[in-house]
Amino acid sequence: MTPARRRTVIQALLAATLVAGLGVLAEIARKRVALGPTDGAGWRPIEWPFPRDGWPPGRAWRNRDGIEVYVRPKLGFCGNCDTGVVTDDEVDRVTDIDLLDERFAPVQEGRRIRITDLFGRARLYKFKTRLGNEEVAEGIAVAYKCDLIVALVAGDDVVDEAVRKRAHRFLESNTVQVWVNRQLEGR
Amino acid sequence: MLRLGLIIVALSVAPVATQAQSQKVGAPPETSNMRLVGYDELQGRSAYQPTIHRQGNRWIAYIGHHGGTDDIPTPVNPMTGKAEPNGTSIVDVTDPANPKYLRHLPGQPGTYEAGGAQMVRVCDGATLPRGDRSAVYLLRTFGGEAHEIWNVADPANPVLVTRLGGLKDTHKSWWECDTGIAYLVSGAPDWRTRRMTQVYDLGDPAQPVKIRDFGLPGQQPGATGTVPTELHGPISTGPQGNRVYFGYGTNKGGVLQIVDREKLLKGAKEPTPENLRAPVVGELLMSPWNGAHTTFPMLKMPVAEFAHDKDGATRDFVMIVDEAILNECQEARQMVWFADVSIENRPMVVSNWTVPEASGNFCQRGGRFGAHSSNESMAPVFYKKMVFIAFFNAGVRALDVRDPFQPKEVGHFIPAITDKTDKRCVKVDGKDRCRTAIQTNNVETDERGLIYIVDRANTGLHILEMTGEARKVAGLP
Repeated sequence: MTPARRRTVIQALLAATLVAGLGVLAEIARKRVALGPTDGAGWRPIEWPFPRDGWPPGRAWRNRDGIEVYVRPKLGFCGNCDTGVVTDDEVDRVTDIDLLDERFAPVQEGRRIRITDLFGRARLYKFKTRLGNEEVAEGIAVAYKCDLIVALVAGDDVVDEAVRKRAHRFLESNTVQVWVNRQLEGR
Repeated sequence: MLRLGLIIVALSVAPVATQAQSQKVGAPPETSNMRLVGYDELQGRSAYQPTIHRQGNRWIAYIGHHGGTDDIPTPVNPMTGKAEPNGTSIVDVTDPANPKYLRHLPGQPGTYEAGGAQMVRVCDGATLPRGDRSAVYLLRTFGGEAHEIWNVADPANPVLVTRLGGLKDTHKSWWECDTGIAYLVSGAPDWRTRRMTQVYDLGDPAQPVKIRDFGLPGQQPGATGTVPTELHGPISTGPQGNRVYFGYGTNKGGVLQIVDREKLLKGAKEPTPENLRAPVVGELLMSPWNGAHTTFPMLKMPVAEFAHDKDGATRDFVMIVDEAILNECQEARQMVWFADVSIENRPMVVSNWTVPEASGNFCQRGGRFGAHSSNESMAPVFYKKMVFIAFFNAGVRALDVRDPFQPKEVGHFIPAITDKTDKRCVKVDGKDRCRTAIQTNNVETDERGLIYIVDRANTGLHILEMTGEARKVAGLP
C-alpha cells in the first residue's frame, strides 16, 4: 500500500469512527431526553430494566447513591377491592420482587405503608443478583380501589430505614405521582 | 387535500357510528340465530352463574349473585319487602316462557366481589353415594368466607345442611354428583394464594370429609419465591375419565393443569412441592396476557379433516376461556383458545376465537368486552357440537365446535338493557364517564336445549333457544 493510500484509509477510518461515536452520543442524549430530567433530589430516570411480561412496563429511577426505584400500576389486580393490601402473602403475590429473583425470600414481616393517600404494605426481601450476590430489596404494594401500585426499592443500603424513607418520599413526589395518575386515567 | 378531506369525513362519521352502537333502554336485542324465550329480572341483582337442575318434573334455575352495588348495596326483595344482601336466586323455569321467581336466599353482606354468593352447583341426594335420597343439595359459596350446602328439595324453602367456613376467599367449585367428590375453590388461611383447591368428600353432605389441599407448587404454606397464578376453577371428568382440568388465572398468566384424579385423591396429602406435582400429568402455560377462567374438556372428538390419517384422527381438546376484567378494553383481549391435549404432557393451542371488535364497536360501548365463561353442561344436546360463550357487552355467542381446529360463530344474542342495568364508569380527565351496556357474565344450557344467560350489570336472566340454520349444528329439529 502506498503512503498516500495508507493515509486515505486512516483518514476514512477516523471519519467513520467519529461518525459512529457521534451517533452513539446522539442516541444516549435522545434516550436521556426521552426518559426525562433529573429531579432536585437527584433521582434520574433510567430505562425499565425488566423483560416484557403480562403487565405494561413501568418507570424506573436511580439516585446519586445508586438506589433504584421501579414503579408500575397493576390494574384490576387487587385481591380485595374493599380492604386493599393487608397481608404479607398479598405483598409476596403482587409486587414485582420476582422480577429481581423468582426465588426471593422475605427477611421479616411486612408493615403497613402509606404513599400519598394510598395505603398498603411493604416488606423486605432477600434475593440473588445474576452474579450470585445476595442483596435486599423492598417490595411495596398500595391499593387504589381495585387497582394496585407496586414499587421496588433496590440498592446496596436498602436495609437502612433512612434510605428506604428517602425512596418513599420520592414515590410521593410529583415526578412519580404525575406519571402514576396518568396511568390510572380511565379507571 | 384529499387526506385532509378523508380525516374530516372520518371525524364526522366516527361519533355517529359509535353512538349507533350504544345500547338504549327499549331498543330491541341484537340477535342472530337465537331467540328470547323467557326473562326474569332477578330483582335487579348482579348475577354470576346460573345452574339448571331437573327436580322431578320441574326445572329449577339456581343463580349465584355478586354482592350489591355502591348505589344499591342490598336490593329489596319484593317477596319479603326486606333489603337483602345478594345471594342465590331460585327460579322455576319449567315453563321457560314464564319463569317463576321462587326464593332469594341472601348471601354474605358486601358489595361486588366482596359479598354475595357467586357460585352454585346442585346434586340429587339419590345420586350421591351417602346422601338423603329425598334431598336435593345446593352447594354455594357464601361470599369469600364459606361454602354452604342447602337442601333445596323444596326449592322455595331451602334448609341449611352444612357450612365450611374460616376461608379468605372462595370461587367456582366443581362437584361430582355420582361420587360426591368436590373440588372447592377456597382460600385456606395459611396458603400463600387467595384461591386454591380443597378436595372434600361430600358424598354425605351432612358429614363433609376433607381429603387434601391442592395448588401449584409455590402456593403452599411456607414456600418462598414467586407465588404462582391463583386458581379460578376445576372441571372433573369423574372416575371414568380420571382427569381434573384446573384453570388458573383470569386475565393474566393462565395455566391449564391436567391432573390424574385417582392420584390426586389417593396420593400423599402433605402439601410439599413433590406431592403437589405428583398427580400432574400435563400443564399448558399460557401467555402472561391471558388467563384460564374456564377449562372445558371435550375429549375423544373425531376430526373430519384427519379421518384418513393413520394417527391422530380422534383428538382430546380443552377449551380455555379467559376472563376480561377491565372496562373498555384497557387490557389485552381475553378470548377463547382450543388446546389439543391428546398427548397430555405436551398440550398445544391449535385455534382461537374472539368476537370481532369492529362488528359492534364494543370497546366504545361501555363495560367489559371480552370472554368470561362458557356453558359447563355436558348434556348430549350440545356437547362437542356447540358451545356458548359469555362475552360481556357482546352478549352470548354460539360457536360450532365440531371441528375445534376451526371454531365458527353460528349465532349470538345481546340482550336489550333495561332501567335496572347498572352503569360502568371509567375516568376521563379525572372525571367519571359512565356508559350502560349489557354485561353477559355466565351462560348455562339444559338438557332441553335451552340457553340461560345472566348479566353482571343487573339486567337479569334471559332464556334463549337456537333458531334457523344454527339448530342443525346441534342436530335440533
